Amino acid sequence: MSRAMNPWLEELQRDIEIRGERRVRIEIASESLPALLELLRGRAGFAHLSAISCVDWIEDGEFELVYHLWSYELGMLVSAHTRIARDPGVYLSVYDLYQPAAFFERDIHEMFGLYFEGSPDMEPFILTEWHGPPPMRKDFDTEAYVENSFQWEEYQPDWLQELQEQGGGIARRPGEIR
Amino acid sequence: MAKIRHDDRGSLLAPLKALGFFTRAPVTETLAPRPASLNYRGFHVNDWSQCIGCGTCQRICDNAAITMVTIPSLPQDPARGIRNQRPAIDYGRCCWCGLCVDICPSGSIALTREYIHICRESELDSYFVLPDPNGIHGQPFPAGWAKSEVSELIDPARQPMKELPAPTRIQGFDEIVQGYEPQQAIDEAARCVQCGLCHEACPTHMHAPEYIRAIWRGDAEEAVRQIYRTNPFAHVCGRVCTHRCEQACSIGNRGEPLAIRWLKRHAMDSVPDERVRELVTQDSVAAPSGRRVAIVGSGPAGLTAAFDLARHGHAVTVYEALARPGGMPRYGIPAYRLPDDRLDADIAVIEAQGVEIRCNTPIGAELTMETLRQQYDAVVLAIGLQLGRSTRIPGSGHRDVHTAVELLRRIREGEALAPPKRVVIIGGGNVAMDIARSLARLQMRRHGAIDITVCALEDFDHFPADPTELKEAREEGVRVLASRGPKEIVIDADGGLGGLKTLGVTSVFDEQGRFAPRYNHEDEQLHEAAWVVEAIGQISDISILGDSLSERLEWDRGRLRVDENGRTAEPWLWSAGDMVRGPDVVHAVADGHRVAASIHQALQQHTEAGS
Amino acid sequence: MRPENYQARAHPPSHEYELNFGPNHPGIEGNYALRVRLHGDRVVAARAEGGYLHRGFEKLMEGRLWIQNIALVPRICVPDPSPMEVCYALSVEALCGIEVPPRAQWIRVMQLEMSRIAAHLFTFGGHAATTGLYTNMFWGVADRDRVLDRFEELTGGRVYSIFNLPGGVRRDLPDGFLERLSGLLDYLESRLEDYDELFFRNRVFVRRARGVGVMSQQQALEWGVTGPNLRATGLAFDVRRDDPYLVYDQLDFDIVTEEAGDALARNLVRRGELRQSIRILRQVIERLPAIDGPVRAPIPNPLAWRVPAGETYTRIESSKGELAYYVVSTGGEKPYRVHVRGPSSMHAVQVLERLVVGSRLEDIAQIMFSLDACPPEVDR
Repeated sequence: MSRAMNPWLEELQRDIEIRGERRVRIEIASESLPALLELLRGRAGFAHLSAISCVDWIEDGEFELVYHLWSYELGMLVSAHTRIARDPGVYLSVYDLYQPAAFFERDIHEMFGLYFEGSPDMEPFILTEWHGPPPMRKDFDTEAYVENSFQWEEYQPDWLQELQEQGGGIARRPGEIR
Repeated sequence: MAKIRHDDRGSLLAPLKALGFFTRAPVTETLAPRPASLNYRGFHVNDWSQCIGCGTCQRICDNAAITMVTIPSLPQDPARGIRNQRPAIDYGRCCWCGLCVDICPSGSIALTREYIHICRESELDSYFVLPDPNGIHGQPFPAGWAKSEVSELIDPARQPMKELPAPTRIQGFDEIVQGYEPQQAIDEAARCVQCGLCHEACPTHMHAPEYIRAIWRGDAEEAVRQIYRTNPFAHVCGRVCTHRCEQACSIGNRGEPLAIRWLKRHAMDSVPDERVRELVTQDSVAAPSGRRVAIVGSGPAGLTAAFDLARHGHAVTVYEALARPGGMPRYGIPAYRLPDDRLDADIAVIEAQGVEIRCNTPIGAELTMETLRQQYDAVVLAIGLQLGRSTRIPGSGHRDVHTAVELLRRIREGEALAPPKRVVIIGGGNVAMDIARSLARLQMRRHGAIDITVCALEDFDHFPADPTELKEAREEGVRVLASRGPKEIVIDADGGLGGLKTLGVTSVFDEQGRFAPRYNHEDEQLHEAAWVVEAIGQISDISILGDSLSERLEWDRGRLRVDENGRTAEPWLWSAGDMVRGPDVVHAVADGHRVAASIHQALQQHTEAGS
Repeated sequence: MRPENYQARAHPPSHEYELNFGPNHPGIEGNYALRVRLHGDRVVAARAEGGYLHRGFEKLMEGRLWIQNIALVPRICVPDPSPMEVCYALSVEALCGIEVPPRAQWIRVMQLEMSRIAAHLFTFGGHAATTGLYTNMFWGVADRDRVLDRFEELTGGRVYSIFNLPGGVRRDLPDGFLERLSGLLDYLESRLEDYDELFFRNRVFVRRARGVGVMSQQQALEWGVTGPNLRATGLAFDVRRDDPYLVYDQLDFDIVTEEAGDALARNLVRRGELRQSIRILRQVIERLPAIDGPVRAPIPNPLAWRVPAGETYTRIESSKGELAYYVVSTGGEKPYRVHVRGPSSMHAVQVLERLVVGSRLEDIAQIMFSLDACPPEVDR
């Protein structure tokens, strides 16, 4: 093994965490992730990309991407965690290694606004008629959006009118405690 | 069962088997309503007599489907923790998860075994339902999903409080309650459902849900801030409050109520005294108003009023007849329930607001009420109840017949009181327990044994003292007799006290509910003792007022009459606390706030009119 | 049209045409669409269009208390809701370090297998309908309803059982439940031959399904195919056996495989799995009575519950394949992130788009049903 590789490997070793019989967690810098995936796929039989998860760490100004890989041969699941800057929010596609990445990258692009260079399809899939910000970002407030866009049903059943005549009626609406 | 091979060509005739089904009876389902399974989560029913209107169902509802509705015809009783509100369900939002049922503190909600509700568009209002025992369609339907022990979501048991065991505590006056560990406090606070019934039940409307939440979050300083919004006797109430909040706590309907008082105690104990002073003083920067207020009596009512008025910028002077400030918490409550230094800490916070307390300064001969009237813009009379009532039975004038408050004060003043080997106490309230347990400790110290008999009028089902007080007193070796009425004090031939004769009590109140004990004269007992202590109630020493002021004031069966703001018939004089409300520390605090608000308003009006 | 907007490539060649297949079509599962380009009745290209059932569950879950989400998750996959509940509960338990009592684990396995049976019956029915075999469709739906009767009895809800809390299950078994479940299994077993004769060995079905929507094992692996669809290409992999959870490692069952990788093979795998699920349930019925103890581990007051910070990727085998939840907690009262990885997110998009190319128009529905794709699970 060449000397130049050593620091990288050492760092990798530090960031590997065995979390149970069949679970391994790796924290890795974003520039090294593609190389890691290539190694895992090519040398260790991690053929199945189970999912790519995205987490918006808005306070850190970062997106976390987690690549969940399963090896049918080793019977082991590796979760490789990496972080990239939220702005401009661009990362590399791993489609050339794992075809399922196409769906997950497209989904993350749609929901978080993170762009994957080299991904085959960044077109909207679910939110084709949505013109707002990527909704899974932490700064998109679903409840506020709903409050502004829809109205609560205003029921006026007889029993309520009777109570109002007696001086009673609605004391606390559900929206007031949420 | 045989595997079908992938290259099996299949059969053209086999499917004709289906023709055989023509000969079978058809499977039919009628449209007539039938009850669903025993656990079915159908429409809500709510037993209104059990429901307490706490609104926990609304809080757990993940779909915001529940609206709380006020029903004026239902009882509204904050002291018992009952609100006249009931949940109404929006079936356009409900998803029938049944979490409302599982969390309901009273267990009043259930879901029926009913499948269907259908309506036309014009009848959409029928989707908003106020469930009562008859449910959505106004007819009784068998209940399905209901509360069970398995599905209970809130731990019914309190965190146990660490306490000194009886043999240890009887050796002295060390505080019995040891307080929660931090994790215990978090776990106890986690049982709270934030219904706010405690807030409504509390005489001073403490923000218990808020400080409990803060404790749960581990933010003791925020808890302290919340506590001080309404109560400057924070340590005192964290230890000896009559905790009406806990009687109202919704969790108490099916389990043990939250230990709200102990949580308050925990929050106060977790923040250093200096920091509490800082926190409380931080947000009180009213400019001096130039107005002066005198307060007579440094108990909870007087000092609470002083605290508020000082924070409004008024110059407040408190006059205390005894050597140290604090009133009843100082001189009436034994140290094993309330150590001096905790009371001192509370008072230090009050003083830090600029309140001046003058001890050893009785009002009366030298310094008269009239002087105060002349020197101050307003005067508050908050002297409490410091004289013990007497039973006035034969022999009660004997020198070895004492009153409980007097003995308690002498113990707290540090006098080396020497109780004899046998003592009888008349009374069954908390004061009776206090003096019994205090004397028990002194007997233990002096004689190495305890012989104390408490004779209460009431039976154990209607016992006036707190159940914990009664339990702890018995653990400590105090003999408590219920339904015994005092008849006479027995005096020996040589003039010494021989004991107390009591009669069995058949009833305490008459048909009209008035206090009129009846006795069984056949059932007489003699309780031998060298001391008899009367603990049947307290009165105010109103001699300090002087005759002319007394005459100008209005009285109601010996009690000073005040309006709802604590104002007397004299425009410069207010009165607060036990002397007008009866004995209770947290009521006194509430009263102090009320009076302070009234005085502040009056002073402001005065200022505006004058300028 | 302005010249700069003109895009020659957007127009299909003149001998081809575009067809919207769905979102409201009897041959499509749920509300889902394929935009297909055809040459005659031969599919040249296809593009999946989702979103008709998007309810934003992942976002909604971030705004709700940990316990409140139990009412949301079953809705992510309507035909097979139990795995959603169990997977979410397992995730929260993993974060909290909650030990689930054995009895609750067995009751969960029971639900999962009941749900698998119900889901497979539904799929057979749907698949049969796409080949015109409506008797089977009615049978599948009607027999599923008998499973739902038992769900109703056990959980209080027919479809959305909302029965699995973090910590265990919400109720113990009703009296006599296992006997009635046993009766249901007897009934289902008595029906298996009917299903074989009317459906699996029905020449109409066999001829329609064989050789349609073929994928090789290598393709399946590359495309991220899991579950029965993967097993139909000859790979004996099942999360229940190979990455076991709950008490699956204490149960005897076979992993059903086929080699051909076509619509028929996928159905034959499900046919076999139905039998395996019955076999598992027989073991549950036999062993559950001896497993005493509570059905729930205590959890804190759900209104004041912080789940320790951390993250977990929990996966299980649903009727449709690999289901996983990635759950992140920052130690708060609500999840910080929940990512639902449903098996259909592969099957209904990339795999379906590829498999229909080259097939005939009338086979599209069949291919989709043979993949058992679940649109609500794709849309979330």
